[in-house]
Amino acid sequence: MIDYIIRAKEVTKTFGGLTAVNAVDLDVAEGSIYSIIGPNGAGKTTLFNCISGFYTPEQGDILFKGKSLKGSSTDVIASRGLSRTYQNIRLFSNLTALENVMVGQQSRLRENWLDAIVHSPTFRREERNSIVEGMKWLDFVGLLEFSNAIAGSLPYGAQRRLEIARALGNRPSLLLLDEPTAGMNPQETLRMTALIRKLRDAFNITIILIEHDMHVVMDISDRITVLDFGEKIAEGKPGEIQTNQKVIEAYLGSGGAALAQKYQRKKPQ
Amino acid sequence: MNTSLRKSIRPGATIGIVHIFFVLIGFNMLVAILFARVSGVKQPDAIPAPVYLMAYSITMGIWAGVAAAQKRKQEFRQVAFAGCVAGGFAGIMAGLLEFGLAIILVKNINVRDVLTVLSANFIKGTLFGMQPAMGVMVTVMLFALGGTLGGALVAFWNSTPFQAFLNRGIRFTKDSVQKAQGVTHGKNRLLWQIASISLLALAVVFLPLNWGSYWNYVLGTVGLYVVLGLGLNIAVGLSGQLVLGFIAFFAIGAYSMALLNAPLPYHLMWGFWPALVLGVLLAAVAGLLLGLPLMRLRGDYLAIVTLGFGEIIRILLKSDVLTAYTGGPRGIQNIGGPTIFGRPFVTDVDFMYLIIGAMLLAMFIYSRLQNSRTGRAWLAIREDETVARASGVNTVRYKLLALVIGAAFAGLAGAIFASRNQFTGPEEHSLMASINVLSLIIVGGLGSIPGTIMGAFALKGLPEILREFENYRLLAFGALLVAMMLSKPDGFIPSRRPKFQIPIQPETREAPKEQDHD
Amino acid sequence: MHALSLPTLAVKGARFKKVAHVFDLLRPILGAIVLAFIAYRLYQVLIVQQEYGADTWTRLLISGLIIGGVYALIAIGYTLVYGILFMINFAHGEVMMLGAYAGLFAFQAFNAIQVGGQAQTSFLNAYPVLAILLAFVIGMFISAAIGYFLEKIAYRPLRKAPRLVPLISAIGASIFLQNAAQLLFSPQLREVTNPDILRRGAGWTISINNANVIIPYTGVFTFVLSVLLLIALYIIVRKTRLGRSMRAVALDKKTAALMGVDVDRTISQTFIISGALAGAAGVMWGLHNGMVYFYVGFIPGIKAFTAAVLGGIGNLPGAMLGGLVLGIVESVGPAALGIDFQLKDVLAFVILIIVLTFRPSGLLGEVLAEEKV
Repeated sequence: MIDYIIRAKEVTKTFGGLTAVNAVDLDVAEGSIYSIIGPNGAGKTTLFNCISGFYTPEQGDILFKGKSLKGSSTDVIASRGLSRTYQNIRLFSNLTALENVMVGQQSRLRENWLDAIVHSPTFRREERNSIVEGMKWLDFVGLLEFSNAIAGSLPYGAQRRLEIARALGNRPSLLLLDEPTAGMNPQETLRMTALIRKLRDAFNITIILIEHDMHVVMDISDRITVLDFGEKIAEGKPGEIQTNQKVIEAYLGSGGAALAQKYQRKKPQ
Repeated sequence: MNTSLRKSIRPGATIGIVHIFFVLIGFNMLVAILFARVSGVKQPDAIPAPVYLMAYSITMGIWAGVAAAQKRKQEFRQVAFAGCVAGGFAGIMAGLLEFGLAIILVKNINVRDVLTVLSANFIKGTLFGMQPAMGVMVTVMLFALGGTLGGALVAFWNSTPFQAFLNRGIRFTKDSVQKAQGVTHGKNRLLWQIASISLLALAVVFLPLNWGSYWNYVLGTVGLYVVLGLGLNIAVGLSGQLVLGFIAFFAIGAYSMALLNAPLPYHLMWGFWPALVLGVLLAAVAGLLLGLPLMRLRGDYLAIVTLGFGEIIRILLKSDVLTAYTGGPRGIQNIGGPTIFGRPFVTDVDFMYLIIGAMLLAMFIYSRLQNSRTGRAWLAIREDETVARASGVNTVRYKLLALVIGAAFAGLAGAIFASRNQFTGPEEHSLMASINVLSLIIVGGLGSIPGTIMGAFALKGLPEILREFENYRLLAFGALLVAMMLSKPDGFIPSRRPKFQIPIQPETREAPKEQDHD
Repeated sequence: MHALSLPTLAVKGARFKKVAHVFDLLRPILGAIVLAFIAYRLYQVLIVQQEYGADTWTRLLISGLIIGGVYALIAIGYTLVYGILFMINFAHGEVMMLGAYAGLFAFQAFNAIQVGGQAQTSFLNAYPVLAILLAFVIGMFISAAIGYFLEKIAYRPLRKAPRLVPLISAIGASIFLQNAAQLLFSPQLREVTNPDILRRGAGWTISINNANVIIPYTGVFTFVLSVLLLIALYIIVRKTRLGRSMRAVALDKKTAALMGVDVDRTISQTFIISGALAGAAGVMWGLHNGMVYFYVGFIPGIKAFTAAVLGGIGNLPGAMLGGLVLGIVESVGPAALGIDFQLKDVLAFVILIIVLTFRPSGLLGEVLAEEKV
């Protein structure tokens, strides 16, 4: 019996007349790295937005750790242990790197504003722990020396990693990464891949990622779902996806698919 | 050369337009009067001596010259020439204006129906009391002279020897500051802190006694505006919600104090402290009730609704309908003050201490909140509300909290204000007052405490000192707001982010290991 | 074990959630109370007291329609700019005020020009139609120019800045323009010289319940002209190339630019159009109400913004409807609810708050339930 951390059933989301996500099922096993791929405009980010609570799907339901996410706002979902990053980096760019991570810890801290005014023992303990843990996450993503730097001034790759550190702030059990290696050079990409793997191995965090870099996807995914025009056209292990006719057609068109087949047949020789 | 000329003419034309505007609102005379006063004339006439107006013309010329010469990396003569062209062009525009004015003067056309400042005397003064042709020529020359001066000034400023001198100066200051920091930060840090705090405390205790009533009144107002500004800063500077009718909460505090602690209309006479507490509470509750329905809407709506709320409060207070309950347009008089240790607070000096206390309290609460989970939640909301929420910040709760605490600050300031003035009336709580508060925190630097203090001084203190500017104050203020947003949207003293020390040893680095999910 | 042992799940804020939830439940109750109050007051005023006859109601309705037309014209400016830049053009009321001044001076000048041989009459009364037309052209031109430069100087450099920044700049511009007008033209109230065919106070008289109700010429003129301008604007936005670019820029600036729309120019044109409409509103204001002074644009400006929000900001028919509704409520409301007439402004703002509580998107606005990501 596999424990599924996310079970999405027939999720449908439309904008006006356009169906962005159409009756998509998604079962993500706990502790796995799961990729969602598909051509541009396939509905990947929309699906992410449905899971993380930005959108309410018109139909279907999403269970997170067995409980429905329906009707929960994004902050409640975050406090239940589901974090995410964004395709176009969205940091709090005028705050320091450490403060960004500390904002991520919001739902776990127990001090309130009265504690802050009187500097109660709770406040001191929570703040200290928050700083210590925040620093550790920064260290984990390799940004310790930038802890007091303003987030907006960090280089691009560092901002991507900082977004992950912020997402880790609430100690998630599920992490949604939206194109974590977009715009990175091969070295940075390798580093990011290692980081993602380490997150799963060391902390048992389940990871769902949207990714365009097929090397990354095939390298680290346990399972892959392929979306096209809002519909799920394939699901399976990386090897199965690589040879799936529908997937190749979706990416290359039918003519391209034929070509690819030819190419593949030649390859073994 | 052609483009260079055009580059000089553009700032010249801009300054020319500014000058024409200045003349049409009579601002040139005011500057001239100020010059006269600075040079020692005790009571300058409404139209001061020509030499001071000439000084005004040269000043405008310098401005044009500086504007034209900036961003130029050319040799001295060229930059000075650019300044001369700009000043000259502005001068020609000024000259054309004066030519027109001279026609009005000679033909005796009455334009005062439209442009009120253009009296015959004013026009004669603007022409330096000379014949029109002469006056125009002198104006153009003075502007050109000023432009050349301005250009030369910039060229000198950018010249290598001066920059080297400047750098030496800066390095010296930096070194001395570092040395001084060595003294203040080392082992002696505690000692140093104690010394500076006690010095400050001494000043706080003894200065008000020597200021006299007037200064205590002015500075007391400044202090209350600091409290008010910090309150608004929690809403606007920290949590990023634009509140336009903020003075309404101030009014609630003031009227609570007035109604509970004045002989008329109710003769409740609760005493100062209960009235103060209730005023603060009522203001906070008003913030809560107003915010509750609005928290899920976009920020602009909050701005306009709070503006509407401020107007509702003012109109209600002003209308005849409530005269029996709130004193109507005439307000409420004879509001009582507090008694501390059997000593009744009556004078402005007494209240100065109370205000300093309120200010310290407000600053204390503000800074404590700023560097806490609450403060970080507010900042995150300000930066990106959607992401803040998805990161687990309960945005509705924190936005409301900011509004409520900000309103409480305003209530505190309002209650003390009413008690000190022994009066409160509807006109004290106009929209202009709200915009004043908003402007002072923006000018100082959104979110920063020193910025708020500086802004309060600049906007509430300076106008009291520069009485001549009375009529031009709001104009300057509007222009300043736009200019600030264009050039320094973070204010003069922007807020700084806290720096944390790294608590873990890099050698024993390791990521947090255990993971306790439910 | 690690030094940290913080609970994973947050319980903080749960209590507040309940409060917000309670508010959601309270909303219909609150709505019922408001409706009951309105019904009760209406019953009191209309049936029990019967203080006012049909003539009074007609009078109030007429004045409401007139003022509503003016509000609609100004509100259009807010809605156009908001639809494209997502900013409140706080200085819009001042643009209208300057248009009112331009109209005032134009009428004054026309009155001073003498024409005709023996029977000396002023240009204003010799060619009233032409004079009115010219005054409107001047007023609309001045306001359009102010709108254009306002955008160019105070807003354009801030287009990429955080949302608060242009708004504050707009507030600054509003204060500046108001005080510039005060310093240039003095703070005194000035009376507009109307042409004889549009005398203030004169109008058609109709008889209702044996009481005379005057339908003022200026009012009819104002209302008809507002409607004509609104129709013209609607045609511009719906049918012309400019309107297409405006709608494209409103939807997505980047894509519009990629499709060959000159975004800067379109925004400038939007400001020119909204300025011209505000200028027309200003001249009308002067003709109908007679008084012009530096503060004349402020309250109508805020009211018009309220009207725009009321109708659903960013929505053109909404702004028109909102303007008319607000005008009517403001003039009929106090009498109908038996409230002191001094409180008509309070009524307007209370309506704004009520609308935002119960229908945040306004009367005709689309419901934006979800956040944009």
